[in-house]
Amino acid sequence: MKELLTARKLGVRVTSALVVLAVVMFVCSLMGTESISLKAVLAQVGGQEAINPDYEIFVQVRLPRIILACIVGAALACSGVVFQALLRNPLADPYILGISSGAGLGTIIAVISGFSWTLWGRSPIAVFAFAGALGTVWLVWCIGRVTGKSHVTGLLLAGVVVNAFFSAVIMFLTSIAKSQQMQTTIFWLMGNMTEEDFLVLWLGAGCVAAGIFALFYISPQLNAISFGEDDARSMGVNTARTRTIAFAVAALITAVAVSLSGLVGFVGLVVPHAVRLVFGPDHRQLLPLSGIVGAIFLVAADTLARIVVAPAQLPVGVVTAIVGGPFFLVLLVKHTHKVGWLSK
Amino acid sequence: MSTIEVSHLSFGYPDGHHFAIGRKTETRVEVLRDLSFEVMPATFLVIAGPNGTGKTTLLNLLCRSLVPKSGSIRIDAAAIESYSTEALAAKVAVVRQEFVPIFGFSVIEMVLMARTPYYGQMGFESKADREIVNEALKATDTAQFASRTLASLSGGERQRVFIARALAQNTAILLLDEPTSFLDLKHQVGIYDLLKRMQLEKGKTIVAVTHDINLAAQYADVTLLLGADGSYQYGRAKDVFSQEQIERVFGVRTFSGKVGQQKFFIPLGKFAKDSRQINSNPDSRRQK
Repeated sequence: MKELLTARKLGVRVTSALVVLAVVMFVCSLMGTESISLKAVLAQVGGQEAINPDYEIFVQVRLPRIILACIVGAALACSGVVFQALLRNPLADPYILGISSGAGLGTIIAVISGFSWTLWGRSPIAVFAFAGALGTVWLVWCIGRVTGKSHVTGLLLAGVVVNAFFSAVIMFLTSIAKSQQMQTTIFWLMGNMTEEDFLVLWLGAGCVAAGIFALFYISPQLNAISFGEDDARSMGVNTARTRTIAFAVAALITAVAVSLSGLVGFVGLVVPHAVRLVFGPDHRQLLPLSGIVGAIFLVAADTLARIVVAPAQLPVGVVTAIVGGPFFLVLLVKHTHKVGWLSK
Repeated sequence: MSTIEVSHLSFGYPDGHHFAIGRKTETRVEVLRDLSFEVMPATFLVIAGPNGTGKTTLLNLLCRSLVPKSGSIRIDAAAIESYSTEALAAKVAVVRQEFVPIFGFSVIEMVLMARTPYYGQMGFESKADREIVNEALKATDTAQFASRTLASLSGGERQRVFIARALAQNTAILLLDEPTSFLDLKHQVGIYDLLKRMQLEKGKTIVAVTHDINLAAQYADVTLLLGADGSYQYGRAKDVFSQEQIERVFGVRTFSGKVGQQKFFIPLGKFAKDSRQINSNPDSRRQK
């Protein structure tokens, strides 16, 4: 008989994945346009020498960016897992319920208005993107509620309609914007990792980590809910509570990710599938492993984005799609027999 | 004391919203009207009747997937709405019409999900849960493909897996919606034998919706026959399933025969071969 998932086995797998993540972060932090020596960096940590360029680059430039990629990758992958389970749709991703267009709209409004204030070190673009993302999900959720009690189809349709409508508004605003503003918006829409203050990073990391813990806590219920809410309820799962927590948390961590880095595509769709293909669909395992794999994937992708066309940089969203697509296809071909929805 | 007690139950589906000036009214398509019956513990109840008479609706009401318009349902003497989701799932398990889930869960993972409300703080099952699941797999003869995915199984095997999951809930009441509809003859009796065994050995109350009145009559203790006009018959299977009753409720001519104590009904269409040769009522033919 197939070995079942146990707490111990899960612990071992998560720990090994975390070790791989640490190694990837370490290796990637040493790669870049400027080669830095580890020895020089460590020398600074011990003593108090004069200005040490290696240390400055490592701490001020590389580290924040790598931490940022971790946060965004983990948030997007976990929220992809949750939306796929809740909507019972393998094509779902974190952006499916309008988060992307809502955040995009917020961004372009902020760009056009030309605000110059900051909120806790965040630019108006980030603040507006965050608000736009959450506001849109809330709107879609309300529309979905009106359409019926078990409102998966209603939600999906509301998401599609709101996405289409806001995209049209974005295009309208882009067409009347000045070319400099347009460039800023498009750059943001492609998804980018930029260096951030440590305060912002810790706040984001805290939100995302807390969110992932909350989602892990309800992961057994997510297993049951992926069979349909009626079915889950008759098995004794409080579906209303599970659904509300899962939606709210997934939307929140996605909004955090989007406000930090713009619209990084592909991670939220592909990482959950890749992990599911290799390790199976059990959400207790799928959720933490997807988070870690998402972080690894985005750290690696962002490092590529930094070095491929150096000294220029690519938007990381371009790399995730170009590298992730073929990689996912290979997995798909190798492991199809494992998944029900494909071998049917 | 009865396990299930339904009294004056009515239910209707909304037909749509109509907006009169200033107020919203709702018309309803009534499917169940003033239905009352009681089911004793360890009974095999079959619910039969033409399409659209509310068989599945009744099943959904009995597991609280739907809420009655009026009337009441009591499970073990307590009103159904007084149960928490968890408590109700410990009393009533449901096997719905089969479907294939979107993610490739294995059979054992799926059956284990029935134990979700009993998982520990860390979200994992206990040894006792494992034992209950193994027993359910054994009872339904599904242990041999426990690690395969549902999509790789045949219709009969899948149905047994869904029954195994319901058994793993360890409930006194088991509701089933057309458990044999896609199965061949052998698997049809296989499922009914399994259900009967659960009734006799474990003392479970079985409530099955079916179209197959002949098969149902062989296993049922009591029968609820729902008619299209909102009428219903409730009673011992052999009393409710009479030729006159069947012909009236289903609106079709039948040929009836008897094997031992058991009556069988074969529907006869207008263009069926020999349909004119066979008199619909053997008793009246004898009189001629």
